[in-house]
Amino acid sequence: MALLCSLRKVGVSLGGRRVLRDIDLALDAGQVLGVTGPNGSGKTTLIRAIATLVAVDRGGGMVLGAALGTDQVYEARRHIGLMGHRPTVILELTLHENLDHVARLTGIEPGRVSHALEVVGLGDAAAMRADRASHGMIRRLEVARLLLTKPRLLLLDEATHGLDSSARELVDALISRATTDGGGVVFVSHDVDRLSAACDDILRLDLGTMETSS
Amino acid sequence: MSFWHQTLELARVDLTVERRLGETLRIIAPFALVALAIFPLAMGLRLTLVSEMGTAVFWAVGVLFGMQVGLRRSSSDDRERRDLHALLGVDPSARFAGRVLAGSLLTTIFLVVLFLAMTVLYGPELPESAVLGATLAIILAAVGLAELGTIAGEITWGLRDRTALASLIVAPLAIPLVIGGSQTLQAMAGDTGILPWVLLMITTDLALAVAGVALARPLEEATR
Amino acid sequence: MTRARAFLGIAALALAVGLWMAMTAPPDALQGVFSRIINVHVPSLWLAFLAFAVTAIGSVMWLWSKRPRWDRLAMASAEVGVLFTAIGLVTGMIWGQRVWGTAWDWGDPRLTTTAVMFFVYLGYLALRGAIDDPVVRARRSAILGAVAVVQVPLVYFSVYMFRTLHQIPSIRPDGSTMPREMLMAMLVNVAAFTILYVALVMARMEVAAAEESASDAEAMAGAVVRPPRLSEVGDV
Repeated sequence: MALLCSLRKVGVSLGGRRVLRDIDLALDAGQVLGVTGPNGSGKTTLIRAIATLVAVDRGGGMVLGAALGTDQVYEARRHIGLMGHRPTVILELTLHENLDHVARLTGIEPGRVSHALEVVGLGDAAAMRADRASHGMIRRLEVARLLLTKPRLLLLDEATHGLDSSARELVDALISRATTDGGGVVFVSHDVDRLSAACDDILRLDLGTMETSS
Repeated sequence: MSFWHQTLELARVDLTVERRLGETLRIIAPFALVALAIFPLAMGLRLTLVSEMGTAVFWAVGVLFGMQVGLRRSSSDDRERRDLHALLGVDPSARFAGRVLAGSLLTTIFLVVLFLAMTVLYGPELPESAVLGATLAIILAAVGLAELGTIAGEITWGLRDRTALASLIVAPLAIPLVIGGSQTLQAMAGDTGILPWVLLMITTDLALAVAGVALARPLEEATR
Repeated sequence: MTRARAFLGIAALALAVGLWMAMTAPPDALQGVFSRIINVHVPSLWLAFLAFAVTAIGSVMWLWSKRPRWDRLAMASAEVGVLFTAIGLVTGMIWGQRVWGTAWDWGDPRLTTTAVMFFVYLGYLALRGAIDDPVVRARRSAILGAVAVVQVPLVYFSVYMFRTLHQIPSIRPDGSTMPREMLMAMLVNVAAFTILYVALVMARMEVAAAEESASDAEAMAGAVVRPPRLSEVGDV
């Protein structure tokens, strides 16, 4: 099975403090890896390090064939999709315009935008400005974005937080599609039951280091 | 997508956001107009002096307030939007160029409004041919200010004191634009050549463009 | 601190010699005793430009190599440079006011460029002071240093053009008309100040290196979060 991501003794410092230490991780194609841990354990930083958005200052690794800390990551980033715990929208644009912006930047056919909004149940809200949309609507918009961009490596950071049951099912469908298409998923959540149901493996972080793997 | 395609798309969104928020024309421009009005009061309303100082005051106020247009656009990005652009494969140089393109257009509009207000409030003696020189100088200054504002906005992104700090960084480095712009207008009024001043401003704009593009990746990494 | 101390010792000696030469050289016939201020003003301005160039080099080298030593050099040179720039500007204004009747010479592009550099230094140091993360601090200040090295020559050139095309004479003569002893004293002071600059930069770099190794960079960021005391919730 293709190895999508591997980290070897990775460490990350932010603001002069160590946030992650000695992280070893491997994600194969088709695999869903869960990450859990208490507040301040470094879960979000780990997700952002895998997304190559945070510099690694100890150890090394590879994400989608790109060596961490090199210019190769610029190409790899196009195939990474991140749904963080804070929304990634331009508030002054409508829901449709937000998705259209993503499509234009990535060369996706504009016609697919409306369909993606319909699939996530936002077809009738397409003309609504993002700053007037609810939290749940914004999360659905982000699912629509990930459906459009079809990332090979899907990173979810508390993605189901604040979602109703039908929206949670959307996230499950997103995960299922990613793994079926030969991609991989890293799923951060406090909800251990949910992780147990959805993930092949669970990594537990505490104080920036790996505690257990089950 | 190509560099130019991304640049135009990012500029388009910046301009759309500005059209809906209206920060430049609703807040920065009126504030600058107030500054224009304050100078004659400080000069004791001596009309001949007011008339002579008009173009100089325009450039001083225009540069100091004009740089805010570029600064505010760079500062308005949150971390999540930056992450999104990074993961969509947006070239950092295209981010810089798109921001500068939108900022140049907005700053040009701002400076034109300010210039018209100055001609009304100060009544400077300018020949009709000065319109061409003024337009050229305004556009070149707008581009330079947008470049400086974008670079300073990126350098100070996420910091507590970013507004004052970014202004402190930009203002001294904008001197070539102040001199070039004001001397272009004076040259037109005095019927002497504007070419050296226009070339000075073009050189400044090009130097900043090269610096901005060359430093685009370190600038992006600096905000992580 | 031995190398920095050695340089400080040499600088003290050189400054003593320079001071003696400055005080014993015959004063300028027109400027009188105020001409002796050039023994502080000129070396300070020279160091302002040298320190700026070193900060720029340190910035560019850090961007290229990412080695912390270059960032320490850029920072140390900026801190020492802002001091000498301020001294150069103030002594220049005192000298100008007393000798030429005006504290500021708008016709002098070097003076305007020095003033611009002073504010760029202040901005550079303010930027560094606002950032906690050492890597982010090094990167952002290096970028500012690199941009400044592009812009500051343009500032000089624009003021030079302004002066030339308007034929504004500088109140200060461009060429040297000083007596030989005075010139020798000034050159010795330039050398002494340069040694002092090197000593101060070295000392500051050593302090910065010590601060970095003493900082608790391996303390875990999440260690400040503890499990809640649920049994005490009702007591709050």
